[in-house]
Amino acid sequence: MDNGMEGMLDTYLYETNSLLDRLDEMLVADEKVGDFSSDDVNEIFRIMHTIKGSSAMMEYATLATITHHIEDLFFYIRDKGIDSLDQSHKKELFNLMFRSEDYLRGEITKVENGEPLIENIDDFAKDINDFLKKISGAATEEEPAGTAAPGAAPAAAPADKGISLPDDPKAECFLHLFLEEGVGMENLRAYMVANAVKECGVDFRYYPSDMESNPDATQEIIDNGFFFAFDSQDVASQAVDIIKSQNHISSYELMSAAGKEEPAPEPAPAAPAPAAAPAVPASPKAAPAAPKSAPAPKASSGAPVKQSLISVNLSKLDSLMAIVGEIVITESMVTASPELQLLPRDSYDNFMKSGRQLRKLTDDLQDTAMSLRMVPISGVFQKMNRIVRDMKQNLNKDVRLTIIGEDTEVDKNIVDSIQDPIMHIVRNSMDHGIEATAAERIAAGKDPQGELILSASHTSSEVVIAVSDDGYGMDPDKLLAKAREKGILTKPESEYTQKEALGLIMLPGFSTNKEVTEYSGRGVGMDVVKKNVESVGGTITISSELGVGTTMTLKIPLTMAIMDGMKVTVGSSIFTIPIANIRQSFKITADQIIRDESGNEMVDCLGSFYPIIRLHEFFNLETEVTSAEEGILMWVEATDRSYCLFVDNLIGEQQVVVKPLPTFLSSFNLKNSGIAGCTILGDGNISIILDIISLYTAAIENA
Amino acid sequence: MSEQVMNENPDATEVQEESSSVERCLTFESGGLVLFLSTNYIIETITGYPITYIPMLPPFIRGIINLRGQLLPVVDVRLCMGKQGVELNDQTCIIVIDVDSVPLGIVVDSVRQVTDIDMQDVHPIPVKRQQKLLNGMVTMSDGSVLMSFDCHALAECRY
Repeated sequence: MDNGMEGMLDTYLYETNSLLDRLDEMLVADEKVGDFSSDDVNEIFRIMHTIKGSSAMMEYATLATITHHIEDLFFYIRDKGIDSLDQSHKKELFNLMFRSEDYLRGEITKVENGEPLIENIDDFAKDINDFLKKISGAATEEEPAGTAAPGAAPAAAPADKGISLPDDPKAECFLHLFLEEGVGMENLRAYMVANAVKECGVDFRYYPSDMESNPDATQEIIDNGFFFAFDSQDVASQAVDIIKSQNHISSYELMSAAGKEEPAPEPAPAAPAPAAAPAVPASPKAAPAAPKSAPAPKASSGAPVKQSLISVNLSKLDSLMAIVGEIVITESMVTASPELQLLPRDSYDNFMKSGRQLRKLTDDLQDTAMSLRMVPISGVFQKMNRIVRDMKQNLNKDVRLTIIGEDTEVDKNIVDSIQDPIMHIVRNSMDHGIEATAAERIAAGKDPQGELILSASHTSSEVVIAVSDDGYGMDPDKLLAKAREKGILTKPESEYTQKEALGLIMLPGFSTNKEVTEYSGRGVGMDVVKKNVESVGGTITISSELGVGTTMTLKIPLTMAIMDGMKVTVGSSIFTIPIANIRQSFKITADQIIRDESGNEMVDCLGSFYPIIRLHEFFNLETEVTSAEEGILMWVEATDRSYCLFVDNLIGEQQVVVKPLPTFLSSFNLKNSGIAGCTILGDGNISIILDIISLYTAAIENA
Repeated sequence: MSEQVMNENPDATEVQEESSSVERCLTFESGGLVLFLSTNYIIETITGYPITYIPMLPPFIRGIINLRGQLLPVVDVRLCMGKQGVELNDQTCIIVIDVDSVPLGIVVDSVRQVTDIDMQDVHPIPVKRQQKLLNGMVTMSDGSVLMSFDCHALAECRY
């Protein structure tokens, strides 16, 4: 596939996926109220139409066929009004639409992965058509909505005298044209034909006279063809010559205004040869036969909305971010250069003035570049809507999903990596959290309809996502019993606090539900969720009250590329500790250090004891600072681990650009040794960014 | 601070076209040996970059340097060969190489020159056991013996 085609494919996938997202959103919203709004019917129709068109262009015939059938279906619904459907039909329609959406999504995924598409779509197409037949009933069989090709016998149609000629008293004769069946956008094509004829200096009027602007004219043209009205036979025959050279015309017929039929229709040749000649515009007048109602192709009514969004390849944004990061670093390298001190006073001041201006600009640049990567979290939340909807039906639970703060923006990478964890939590809540039956809920004094709240909000440096249900809640005693059974308790049961007991469900190999259901309990449990969240630098906390409900809160940094760090020294090395992990820093004296039997050091902070990790010992660095009085303790915390780091000195706070470790070093597993990455400081030196969680694991758990 | 080695030099490709077995090579010294490496792998040689020590790595990786914003790991060839490491200072010479898109810096004692070596003249090393980083030797016209440095072995840590 060449580049152009690949670009087109990218656009196709992007566009189709966004349309499907939009469809999903609408379906879920509409199903909640149990009805389609007429706007949505139009919208679904348009979506299907667009997908049909682009799929046909990309030569995915099966996709085009299915969307065509759905389009037909919605054409009918639009025509008849959604109210013509009774409740059971609507319900069926929802299921059918969700099925269609799944099918389309599945196929699009296959296109993305370069897999072959499902060839056999007859059954599915038949289901759609059957449904259409069912709702249309026998009486409306000749409605143009169905899959029965509307233009199947266009040439024969005029002979039936069923067509009324446009009302045009001046016209001497009419030319009655039919377009090829299924060319799409019939009104525009008809208009193009009319234009071509006009360009040749032929004076005439066309009907429907508003064909180019009125999308409803499309159906009219499909069904009845369209008319050109001429003032004289000569002009008409001139036009016929031009029409012969036009594309997509299946047949035409010359008729005199009196209704006498002119010689028989002949098939038009389809040779591309646009003729050029001075244009003599003819003003169309008189109203055509009232259009019935019809599909809206891309030219839908209403003012066109200017496209203000563009889609950009993510890798371009990544490299932009990298360059901006470089600029920020280089900028501080330049302005902090010691050689500047040698400049005369005046020049130095001038230089620094320009330097400050540059800093402001680079800051702005950085903010803008960062904002490019931010996307609203609504995409993830919408998917949850769908999951809740499906599970509601399958589990037969009545649950309402409330979404709060879906406009919250998060880095694109993070959105991708939190989707699975959120999905898992939502499934868990639906499956195990919410009571099995409404009766059970009523007995517990709750609203029979369960509630699941999905909320997102911003703090200054992180996004907080909470999933809460008002179901059973978790019983710490049960969790402890279960953990004992599994042998994963690390200390006597009585010593577990409620928070710790709840934390047990995030341990590997812990699943409270004995039965494996379709949705959860497949062995990959909360431990995977926790891992995923931690991999993007986030934390997860659980709070639960027995009988009231459970809330899981994810806290995720807004972006992983840039963070606030505290620089500390150990010997000649500079380490950066993420500010988010720091609780406090303080000096201690040697007698405040308590040792256990194997010599591990601990310190008392605000009434609790925390282990001390001496960075110089752990990393085996040479330093002169070894006594407790000389160094400084940094009390750090990440998820449920809290401990103190012993370092030489604090240098200060700085915003740093996180750089991954070079590929050559990836085989040495530094990530599990407490090293998250590196950053380049303003003076060009390299600082190591500590990973507080894995440092703890390496230094204490695996010591 | 840095001096570009002439791998961008159009001659290099011309030479290859003349005879496929002749390659432009950089010769350098490390631990008393004279080694050579095809300039196809070499990006540049640099001096005067401070090396930042990274803990928890095998000792032969001396650390990383900030090469114009790119983080480059630096390996000490002497330590790889089980010898005393190079003493790092401002004059430490680092050859920046790129092995299958893995950028890498190697610390050597000194860089000599760029010379043409006919690969057909390169013989295998008779003692197979120890020279894991060397994969051949060649006698130059002046009688000196050069060892072929196996940068793939280095990049894959096969030693």
